[in-house]
Amino acid sequence: MNEEKQRRKYTTVSIPVSLYERIKDLIKDTGFKSVSDYVTYVLREIVAMHEAERSSEPFTEEDVERIKQKLKALGYL
Amino acid sequence: MNGRKVLIIGLDAAAPQLVFEQFREDLPNLRELIERGAYGKLRSCDPPITIPAWIVMVTSVNPGRLGLYGFRHRKRYSYTEISLPSSRSIKVKKIWDYIGERGRKVCLVGVPPTYPPPRVNGWLISCLMTPDTKREYTYPPELKEEIERLVGEYIIDVPFRREDRDAVLREIYEMTEKRFKVIKYLLTEKPWDFFMFVEIGLDRIQHAFWKFFDKEHHLYQPGTKYENVIRDYYKYLDREVGEILSLIDDDTVVFVVSDHGAKRMKGAFCINEWLIKEGYLKLKKRPEKVTDLEKADVDWENTIAWGWGGYYARIFINVKGREKSGVVDPEDYERVREELKRKILNIRGPNGEKWNTKVFKPEELYPVCKGEPPDLMVYFDDLYWRSAGTIGHNTLYLPENDTGPDDAVHDYDGIFIFFDPRRNLNGRRVDVNILDIAPTVLKLMGISVPPTMEGRVIEEVL
Repeated sequence: MNEEKQRRKYTTVSIPVSLYERIKDLIKDTGFKSVSDYVTYVLREIVAMHEAERSSEPFTEEDVERIKQKLKALGYL
Repeated sequence: MNGRKVLIIGLDAAAPQLVFEQFREDLPNLRELIERGAYGKLRSCDPPITIPAWIVMVTSVNPGRLGLYGFRHRKRYSYTEISLPSSRSIKVKKIWDYIGERGRKVCLVGVPPTYPPPRVNGWLISCLMTPDTKREYTYPPELKEEIERLVGEYIIDVPFRREDRDAVLREIYEMTEKRFKVIKYLLTEKPWDFFMFVEIGLDRIQHAFWKFFDKEHHLYQPGTKYENVIRDYYKYLDREVGEILSLIDDDTVVFVVSDHGAKRMKGAFCINEWLIKEGYLKLKKRPEKVTDLEKADVDWENTIAWGWGGYYARIFINVKGREKSGVVDPEDYERVREELKRKILNIRGPNGEKWNTKVFKPEELYPVCKGEPPDLMVYFDDLYWRSAGTIGHNTLYLPENDTGPDDAVHDYDGIFIFFDPRRNLNGRRVDVNILDIAPTVLKLMGISVPPTMEGRVIEEVL
């Protein structure tokens, strides 16, 4: 049952074997218990950064086009 | 003096020559503020345009430090991708942040850019950058319902560049009447210490109807039914100001200000047509009809410089290592920039008349230039000629604007009126800078002026 639960919480993504080997070397004698640990950590950081970037852009592409037309009609562009 | 309340009445583009001279006798309420208070010209920022001007006023920080040079900015030096200013573009504190931090309540309507609506210690309605009223445009979000119960659909702005001027006029009045209804409601229903609003309708009216009242306008049309539209709208605003004054107590100090002035437009200069003619801008194929440069087939590998339209021109140099297909070596950058500046300064009008054009390198105007500043900023003939960015005109000079009818341009000086119900200043004349408003408001409210503010406290009126 536990194994089943574990399987539902995780999934597999593929990375090149050479990258896997580099990471394995890199995390020797660090707090990371496995390559998966490290990859999860790095991805979480980067994804959060990208999400923050996205949320700070208040206008959708469609908004930008619409507002551009309006600003043009108002003489600002 | 400490701890006063402050109301700022912002009238976008209100022009000193109209308020203080030409229409003065028609504006009894503003005249009373002028004659019992202090008044003068308010020098706007560079460029004197709605964005960045209002936010310069409420931060007392120059556009270079704000990284805000107009209504659009390049995205990572892209040729075509742009970003639009929003409340999130402003990384420095506004006066209402300082006031709110001290536990005092603020109420803000239409100050650009305040979309998306930021959290404030009070109430806020966003500005003309709001995509539409289906979005959340208030803080707190529940305020939207309150407003719509009061006036139905709230009107953010009215694009005026249409030939159907009757419709434009009707819509501008509808917008402004609704806004004043909301303002008067907030003034009486919310417990505020600092209240500021910006009415954009005046700017729209002036752009759409200037040629019907200004005898010096090159397209002046005398004796039309639109002759008094601008005067009547000022009179209407004056009545609204009168009503507002009857709603406030004598603890409240009143400012009436504009972000820039207005004057007749002489025409539009086709900056990109000129750059093509001078060999700085190359096209792979000339468009058959009038086209935006971003949609044209530009030969970027052979282009040295290109420009943007607006009330002023922004010029960009195609620099190696900075632009994707840059051609100007960084070591040649200054030489090219100087050469362009010299040539632009020599541009003459359509009849060979001399122009009083101003060309600035951004670093000459601002001590620091954050964000993505243009390489040159150009005011054609002291702003009388606007810049047209479109190509395909087969002429350099357009008697009207390239994107629809427009009769007016911006001027450097807006208005400043100061009125303290408890003191008679006898109509003292005081000229100020747009940077001076925020520190003066803080001083009046008993809040120390942070050293990051660049303006001075207008001591003459305190």
